[in-house]
Amino acid sequence: MLDKLKLEPINNWLKKNNWHFYNHQLETVTKTLQGYDVLLVAPTGGGKTLAGFLPALEDLINNQHPKNQLHTLYISPLKALTVDVHRNLLAPIQDQKLDIKVETRTGDTSSYKKARQKQAPPHMLMTTPESLALLLASPEANDYFKFLKFLIIDEIHSLVNSKRGDLLSLNLSRLETIAPKCQKLGLSATVKNKNSVLAFLSQKNKSITINVQERSSPSIDILKTDIRVPWSGHMASYAIKDIYKKIINSTMSIVFVNTRAQAELVFNKLWHENEKNLKIAIHHGSLEKEMRRKVENMMSRGLLDCVVATSSLDLGIDWGNIDLVIQIGSPKGIARFLQRIGRSNHRLNEPSRALLVPSNRFEYLECVSAISSIRENILDEINDKEGSLDVLAQHILGVACSKPFEVNELFTEIKNSWPYRNLQIKKFLEVLEFVKNGGYSLKNYDQYSKIGLNKENLYTIKNKNIRNKYRLNVGTIVESYMLKVKLGNRTLGQVEEWFIEGLNEGDTFLFGGRILEYQYLSNNNVIVRTTKDQQPKIPSYAGGRLPLSSELSFQVRSLISKEENWKNLPSQISEWLRLQLKFSNIPGPEELLVETFPRNIKNKKRYFLICYSFEGRNANQTLGFLISKRMQRMGYKPIGFVATEYALAIWSMNMVEDINILLSDDIMLDDLYEWLEETPLLKKNFRDAAIISGLIERIIPGQKKTGKQIMFNSDLIFDVLKKHEPNHLLLQVARQDSYRGLIDLDRLSKFLKRIKKNIILKKLNQISPLAIPLILEINRQTIDKSEVNEYFLQELEEQMTKEVGLN
Amino acid sequence: MKSFKFKNHEFQISLDGILFWIEKKIAIISDLHLEKGSSYASTGQLIPPYDSLETLNNLIKNLEKNKVSELIFLGDTFHDDQASERMSHETDLLFKRLIKTYKVIFIRGNHDNKLSIDGVICCEKYVLDGIHFIHEASKENINQVSGHFHPVASLKVNSKKITAKCLVHSENLIILPSYGQYTGGLNITKSPLREFIDVNSTIYLLSNKSVYKLPVSKIKNLL
Repeated sequence: MLDKLKLEPINNWLKKNNWHFYNHQLETVTKTLQGYDVLLVAPTGGGKTLAGFLPALEDLINNQHPKNQLHTLYISPLKALTVDVHRNLLAPIQDQKLDIKVETRTGDTSSYKKARQKQAPPHMLMTTPESLALLLASPEANDYFKFLKFLIIDEIHSLVNSKRGDLLSLNLSRLETIAPKCQKLGLSATVKNKNSVLAFLSQKNKSITINVQERSSPSIDILKTDIRVPWSGHMASYAIKDIYKKIINSTMSIVFVNTRAQAELVFNKLWHENEKNLKIAIHHGSLEKEMRRKVENMMSRGLLDCVVATSSLDLGIDWGNIDLVIQIGSPKGIARFLQRIGRSNHRLNEPSRALLVPSNRFEYLECVSAISSIRENILDEINDKEGSLDVLAQHILGVACSKPFEVNELFTEIKNSWPYRNLQIKKFLEVLEFVKNGGYSLKNYDQYSKIGLNKENLYTIKNKNIRNKYRLNVGTIVESYMLKVKLGNRTLGQVEEWFIEGLNEGDTFLFGGRILEYQYLSNNNVIVRTTKDQQPKIPSYAGGRLPLSSELSFQVRSLISKEENWKNLPSQISEWLRLQLKFSNIPGPEELLVETFPRNIKNKKRYFLICYSFEGRNANQTLGFLISKRMQRMGYKPIGFVATEYALAIWSMNMVEDINILLSDDIMLDDLYEWLEETPLLKKNFRDAAIISGLIERIIPGQKKTGKQIMFNSDLIFDVLKKHEPNHLLLQVARQDSYRGLIDLDRLSKFLKRIKKNIILKKLNQISPLAIPLILEINRQTIDKSEVNEYFLQELEEQMTKEVGLN
Repeated sequence: MKSFKFKNHEFQISLDGILFWIEKKIAIISDLHLEKGSSYASTGQLIPPYDSLETLNNLIKNLEKNKVSELIFLGDTFHDDQASERMSHETDLLFKRLIKTYKVIFIRGNHDNKLSIDGVICCEKYVLDGIHFIHEASKENINQVSGHFHPVASLKVNSKKITAKCLVHSENLIILPSYGQYTGGLNITKSPLREFIDVNSTIYLLSNKSVYKLPVSKIKNLL
């Protein structure tokens, strides 16, 4: 195959380094030459990125291509990745002295360089979805992109099911109009439904998926420890000593955690253990960019022994010789776990080595399931998502900023974008109306409309100012307002404003691995000093909790359903399950176990109802609300509920008699709307939609005032709209996002269908072994922080284990 | 509704933020910021146009429930000098009805410092029984009722944070919460508002359901 492809310079360079082409790389070139759009699905490592660039390189090497014409566009979800790929691609180009100009363009690129890139485009430009949107919104977009021959989208699976993906897809469709002959290549990690990813990339008949099998299955273990795995909690403090030993015995390791709070705590505890003075660093999204770059740099040069990281290090950057990945807590999804494991031994032909550290007993089951899923090649599904209308509003304004458009032509173009394929003309016109004047039935604002028809009956922006404002508001990522953390003159990073609002002067918190004392707020800087305090108040950042994937949830249910599966579990876990079986029951994969038992809280008799749904915290939370409402109506007097990933616990003053009525699937109809309208989530989603759609402006960095003061308070708008225009476009978007997100409506309705007639009710006289973690969680969540200490929980735990006869 | 004494006069604060001077049948309202919505719209942020209507409807409805003959607006009644030109016909009618029904005094604020309306008193300061009605609180040692700061307070209740508008009552002064639909707030712990609060101050917090009287000294969790 290689002989027919004229790739000598690249081949020479590979040979020099004792490397060679992989088959999938050559196949990618062949298929592209035949005119296909190609989706390459391959595990991390193994030259996926090079494969993506090969067709473009082949064309540039063998065919004349004028200077100053953009030939290839590469899009990645991470700025850092564009920089990394740029560097990797320059190696063969410089080594073989190829006349190919490659540049990056992101939010970090200087305005001088950006201007030059517009005048004299490189052959290859590496950018992000947001920077692409900006380029396409400029009046010169047509000339800039009309010669484009190749478009490469990296880590495409991570973009498919998100608003960011919607924005990218709309712009892909736009590029298709400008450069119809351009060929597309998508690079994806392994996922279950490759067809959705391919459809997102291209809807041409000539499109194809090239699938690369994992060559060596990773070697994954669960941490073996003599210490008892905790019943509840998420910090895995019990395992720190064992984790430290593993770090000592590896060359370089990454410790992945799920939240920033975990990262801080684990990092802190590792340093307490650090007798050998290992070089251990921390990496998460809140830290100052320079500090993160420094850590990344030291990693790639092999100067560190270990890095504690959140998802900030998830995606495909080659960080050098990582030979061990430690995952603390369940990875919550198979795809994410594979991606993280892929960080170690970043080469196809060597197996990755990973160690899982469950932070509690249910997580232990999750970890076992994750490992067997990977062994059996079971993958997570990416749920398809309808394109969001707030993103569409942003895009329509962007198109108008670029050049005047005709309504029907634009509608046709938008329908070519995969997420918007089902869009109805009526909805489209509603969004257009919103872009024009806010979409209010009261027409007060017609005089202020942003776009309007010109003499040729085309829509265009009313003035240049609108384009400037669009440029500042582009993108779909809405972050909380952040404040800089300052220690003396040094900036350590950023924290959310609401977090600082919850602190009092003198409070201590962990940040960037230090214990800091909050002093005061000055000019939007959080002034801190170091402290010798050993017991910090830990930051509980938002957005760190990842939901348990449906696939993994099914695997956990399957794992526990058969006793024969338990023999591979450590004795403390299998004994727990065995006792549960004897004491109560263990549900089959399609069944729902419900337990009821009385128990005293603060010397008052309460009745507990526990549903082991295993459907994730969000779905359980919603279920908890709906069931409590119904219980209230039926006179059971519910007092409270707690939801975890695995189960829901409700306690009430009266004992529940009829479970089937509580769990019938019409429960969704009754109170769901009310539940939604009450959640703070709806307001948050409304705020995001208001910003993405351009109704209110983003906070511009450098402005001196706190977030709340500059930005028009979206809660006020929310209340007014709810009253006067309950079906306003943005309320529709906010409700939809809420149904999809935290409430996990889809999953809940599938669950209720599944369990119909499959409910096992166990009326017990006392707490069951499986319920112990939940009761502990209730105490963690509901008791005033000052009363809860580990001692109290320990006592409760001992008492309960005695009750059920466990040691 | 909560009653309290200020300089030996009986006052009442309503849930929506109107201060009533009972014996004089006067209602005192601050910071309506009428047409704030359209002011943003004219610069490209098309936030919903219902604010002025909503503000005036609420005000009229709540005034009608009480025996009132006179109104004192403590400034920033309009969001800017052009606001009245941008008002819709419907809003304009409501506004005219208001100034026809009651004896009205407008104090000018920083947002509407040129305010003048035919046949209506518009001034910087209005004094009645030794109480000065002004827009922004003054450090002078006078008995005063003002607005301007849009005070809000945050409290921790059962580890949840609640933030709501509030009225500030210190020895010689009252600072009213803002009344307008689209008005945000300044926390009472933040400068310069905190300089008007001392250990003997009381705040009246306007929560969703009722007005809470909270002496500053006794609020442990005041953020």
